[in-house]
Amino acid sequence: MGRTIFRVGWPRTDKDRAAAMISSLVLHIHPAKVQRHSLRASYTLGLGLTSAYLFGVLIVTGVVLMLYYTPHPLDAYRNMKDLQFVVTFGPVLRNMHRWAAHAMVVVVFLHMCRVFFTGAYKEPRQFNWVLGVGLLLLTLGLSFTGYLLPWDQLAFWAITVGSNIAGYAPGLGAEIKYLLLGGNVIESGALLRFYVLHCVILPLLAAMLIAMHVYRVRKDGLSAPPAAEPPPIEEMAPGRFPPSTRSYGLMALADRPAQPVVESEPDDEVLTWPHLLYREVLVLLAVLIALHAAALLFNAPLEEIADPTRTPNPAKAPWYFLGLQELVSYSALIGGVLVPTLLVLALVLVPYLDPVPRGVGVWFAPERSRANRIFAALASAAVALTLVGMFFRGPNWAWVWPWTP
Amino acid sequence: MNDPTRRRFLFSTGVTSVVLSACGFLGATARYLSPNVLYEPPHRFPIGSPEEFPPGTATFLPEHRLFLFNNPAGFYAISSVCTHLGCNVRHIVGEGFACPCHGSRFDENGQVVHGPAPEPLAWFGLSLSPRRELVVNTRQPVQPEYRFRV
Amino acid sequence: MRTPQRASVRFHLAFAVLGVTFLAIFSWVFLKEYLAEWRTTQAQFDQLQRRVKDPHALSLAAPLGEIQQIWLPDLNRVDRCPTCHLGIDDPAFVSAPEPYTTHPGAWLRTHAPDRFGCTSCHGGQGEATDFRNAAHQPIPYWSDPMRSPQLIEANCGACHRERRPRQAVWLEKGREVIANAGCIACHDIPGFSLEELRAPRLESVGYKVRPEWLRTWLADPKAYLAQARMPNFRLEPPEIDSLSAFLLAQRETAPLDSAGIDWSKADRDRGRTVFGEARCVTCHRLEGRGGTMGPELTTVGSKVGRAWLFSFIKDPTHDQPGTLMLRYRFTDDQIRDLVAYLTEDLIDPGAPQASSEVRYVEPALIERGREAFVRHGCYGCHRFSGMVDLGKIGPSLLGIGDRAIEAADFRNAAVVPSRPNWLFLKLRAPDTLADQSRMPTFNFSEPDAAAAVVALLSIRRADLPVSRVTDQPRPVRYEPQGTFGALVARYRCLSCHQTRGWGGELSTVPLDRIGSQLQHAYLVSYLQLPSAVRVSLEERMPWFRMTREEARTLADYLAGVFVDDSLERPVPLDADAARRGARLYQTLGCRGCHSLGGTGGYVGPDLSDSGRRLKPGWIEAWLSDPGRWKPGTLQPNYGLKPEEARSLTAYLMTLSTDRSGSTP
Repeated sequence: MGRTIFRVGWPRTDKDRAAAMISSLVLHIHPAKVQRHSLRASYTLGLGLTSAYLFGVLIVTGVVLMLYYTPHPLDAYRNMKDLQFVVTFGPVLRNMHRWAAHAMVVVVFLHMCRVFFTGAYKEPRQFNWVLGVGLLLLTLGLSFTGYLLPWDQLAFWAITVGSNIAGYAPGLGAEIKYLLLGGNVIESGALLRFYVLHCVILPLLAAMLIAMHVYRVRKDGLSAPPAAEPPPIEEMAPGRFPPSTRSYGLMALADRPAQPVVESEPDDEVLTWPHLLYREVLVLLAVLIALHAAALLFNAPLEEIADPTRTPNPAKAPWYFLGLQELVSYSALIGGVLVPTLLVLALVLVPYLDPVPRGVGVWFAPERSRANRIFAALASAAVALTLVGMFFRGPNWAWVWPWTP
Repeated sequence: MNDPTRRRFLFSTGVTSVVLSACGFLGATARYLSPNVLYEPPHRFPIGSPEEFPPGTATFLPEHRLFLFNNPAGFYAISSVCTHLGCNVRHIVGEGFACPCHGSRFDENGQVVHGPAPEPLAWFGLSLSPRRELVVNTRQPVQPEYRFRV
Repeated sequence: MRTPQRASVRFHLAFAVLGVTFLAIFSWVFLKEYLAEWRTTQAQFDQLQRRVKDPHALSLAAPLGEIQQIWLPDLNRVDRCPTCHLGIDDPAFVSAPEPYTTHPGAWLRTHAPDRFGCTSCHGGQGEATDFRNAAHQPIPYWSDPMRSPQLIEANCGACHRERRPRQAVWLEKGREVIANAGCIACHDIPGFSLEELRAPRLESVGYKVRPEWLRTWLADPKAYLAQARMPNFRLEPPEIDSLSAFLLAQRETAPLDSAGIDWSKADRDRGRTVFGEARCVTCHRLEGRGGTMGPELTTVGSKVGRAWLFSFIKDPTHDQPGTLMLRYRFTDDQIRDLVAYLTEDLIDPGAPQASSEVRYVEPALIERGREAFVRHGCYGCHRFSGMVDLGKIGPSLLGIGDRAIEAADFRNAAVVPSRPNWLFLKLRAPDTLADQSRMPTFNFSEPDAAAAVVALLSIRRADLPVSRVTDQPRPVRYEPQGTFGALVARYRCLSCHQTRGWGGELSTVPLDRIGSQLQHAYLVSYLQLPSAVRVSLEERMPWFRMTREEARTLADYLAGVFVDDSLERPVPLDADAARRGARLYQTLGCRGCHSLGGTGGYVGPDLSDSGRRLKPGWIEAWLSDPGRWKPGTLQPNYGLKPEEARSLTAYLMTLSTDRSGSTP
């Protein structure tokens, strides 16, 4: 009977292992063989994989948390208290959901940086980069919509500030805010909308984008290899063929005779099972351990119940929007609208505007030093602004040192 | 320890731990799903002072799904929940109870006369609170001889 | 076939290490859950109850290992305190340590935990299941920590809204402080009404006060009078200038004409006699003695002008329609002597001398004074025609008990930023708080301020269901009409006496059934010349000098309307019964408190004349159950049999000081 479920069984030979990869729906996400290059941790840092795991953890914890949650102002806060005090394992699950959400924002951002600095968005992966930008925005949206659900002071005022930043968008800003909140104030209607966005609409969108993102990765090769150009002469070993741009071989199609799989070095390609799968399992365990440790050691914040009459000073947006809030504190239009719009536009267009086709697959390729410098400057500016908003802004948005009480 | 043995040992250690953790995860999920506190009506609740139920009457209390009787021997409370599929039964003076859903009939004491109901209607214990209110306890089943005197 | 590709040992090692780590950390999750504080607390209780209780009681005990909660949907409360406070309603745990000990006192009998929960009275975070988060002590992000014993009455007050809740002395005192301080003038406060305010009208104050006194008073009322009700508004000298200019310009109603009075004939000693006979000290304080209903008179001569005082005594309502002061039936000569006594003997020698020069006052200064008058909300207490719709200058105090407090609200960083501290400082020393308000300085004593804090904390924002709230109906204003009504208004009976819950509180005798208690003839003579029935009392009814006609009208009405039919019954008054009553009078020791013909105690009323004073039905009813008629009276309930009460009544009805009638 086992064979009706797992057609191959526990594979003992390379052939079986390859067959296992191909015959399984889940494992089919991988090719049967991968390049050694793709397995180098120092190249990918496992960031894409980690963010996928975090997404999975968030789905699982999120679904079970929904069982104890009512999206209504009268109940939501009490539900949080119940999770904190009386639901068995409730605190751990809530903490894990919270920290995984924050971690996902960080990891997705780092993933983007990694892809940029290795030039991995170039031909043929331009559109996958655009999908990635969409996923970054969705991650922020998911985190932002989830922020309101505990219905405490932190949630309420962060969303108040955040949704007002959205209201600065020219032309449609007011309408966007009205649609987002389902009204003019954050009340039961807004909570319900954020709940549906957070639990249904955005996760579905994210799942679809992730599917497309991963499918493209699968089709274009696990990670961009340093092969779109010939490697520097001194590194090119004699007798070695230029490696394939695609990492798998068994299913090589006949219309690509230029890169026949059989001709690639056995040393250069290894079987997915066990080499890739094993690494993936290890990363999964590491991610789970880190999340559990964080969930056990640090409690997710829960302040007093939301009180529209009492604004905390300072009222801060969720931390990943604090850079934006910092900009808005200088100029609502330029900081809140122009800069972010241009940034997102620039990110989307990066693969199509980049004039240098080379420098793919290696960190900080010298050919791309100008692009890398620009990107590094922008990314550090974003991080710096966020840090300033997090630690250097006190009551009335005045400057404070983080160590002053 | 040679290399293959070491591999096998390490691998099985890892697999065992992961399997145990997975079992733990399933157990934890099951435990998580079972709520520790309930936001439900209490099983003991006051229904009013005895004077509100004159002698010789049967009063249907829809919010508590029970009938309160006051006959010369004392008070008693009978559940209005049909033991078949949970519809509210109707009280017919002198005959007993009739379930509108599937035609089960019960006598005045809630015993099944005919119909699909598998069990007699439940009887609940009564008490008097310090504020002189009749208190029903739905977790205290009593026999049909039960009468409560104030 | 090649040997299969293998993962290196390094990977197996990493897998094993990570797998074991994961298992360990996952076990930690379980440990953390099953070593939760409340579980260990319950385990210790289990050992305790095995020692304390017998096996049968043990078998009936509530099962352990579960979270116990009280859910009160109408109060929106969930209290899980019984999870750890397991012996709270079981007397077997009286001597058990916290948290297992029995609740002290009989409170749970009147406040059953399943109806009221725990945090309704005690505060704290009921949802929590561990000591720290339950907010036994203040914690961040929970604004309602457990009340200390000093403040717990604030939680009583959330439901018990009557002005004088029983068994909550601080709350009662605090509400009294709030009422007396006149907070309602500037703040809306649930449970208090503007009708309780007492302050003179100022439309004609220019005729009334001496300018030099006014400046001292405005600078600091307490400097003139330590008991002054008016707080110190911390006025700057320019404000005092403009405000006094404005006030002195207020001359709406000229005083009654006193031009024909020959002041040279005034006799201060006769005035002093009139003052004593009229019993002015019942309401006015003089050199440390006397009532507090009216203003202190020790230095009144330095305060008010002679012409105005003459007019005021002649008809107090002339420029003060709402005054509590009664209108004596004095002759002009008597008033002249009285005014002379008041204005010449009762002066403050240290007061600034009057400057007789008349100066030109700029209209702009008066206008600035008017602005200051409005800015400081003076019209809140001193009703002023033309300033009716200005509203209250202070914020509403609804929900003050939930006001959010932050460290930034305090100037002194050493103060713990708590709500009680903020309120206390607001009352006692507003300048130690960050926000500079116009709230004047009241100089509350520390106990008064502490009591007021308790009362203020009881004013919560959450609206409780009506079924949870106890309150007393507000008394309806009682204004009798006709001849009787005119007399009641003239002699201001209701300044001191109460009827139907309305009226003053100076007199201990409510008038509701006075007609069934006192004989008509006695009433008539008493109203004309009140004699002290209780010699120990300082507050005695004033000598109004009312006419016989007036006294008769009042007595007729009282005897006809202010009656209690249950007291109007005949009591057989035969001589035998009177003799038995006389013996009973001795055996019960009545003379310990009551005096008879000059001998006996002074605590109770003099009974020498009771045969002509009291009605027999009332004596009998009173003796049978004094507490029923006057809760808290000192008169003991001897549990007299009906015939004993009747004999005593018969005896008391024989007592009379009138030698011409029947003798005892």
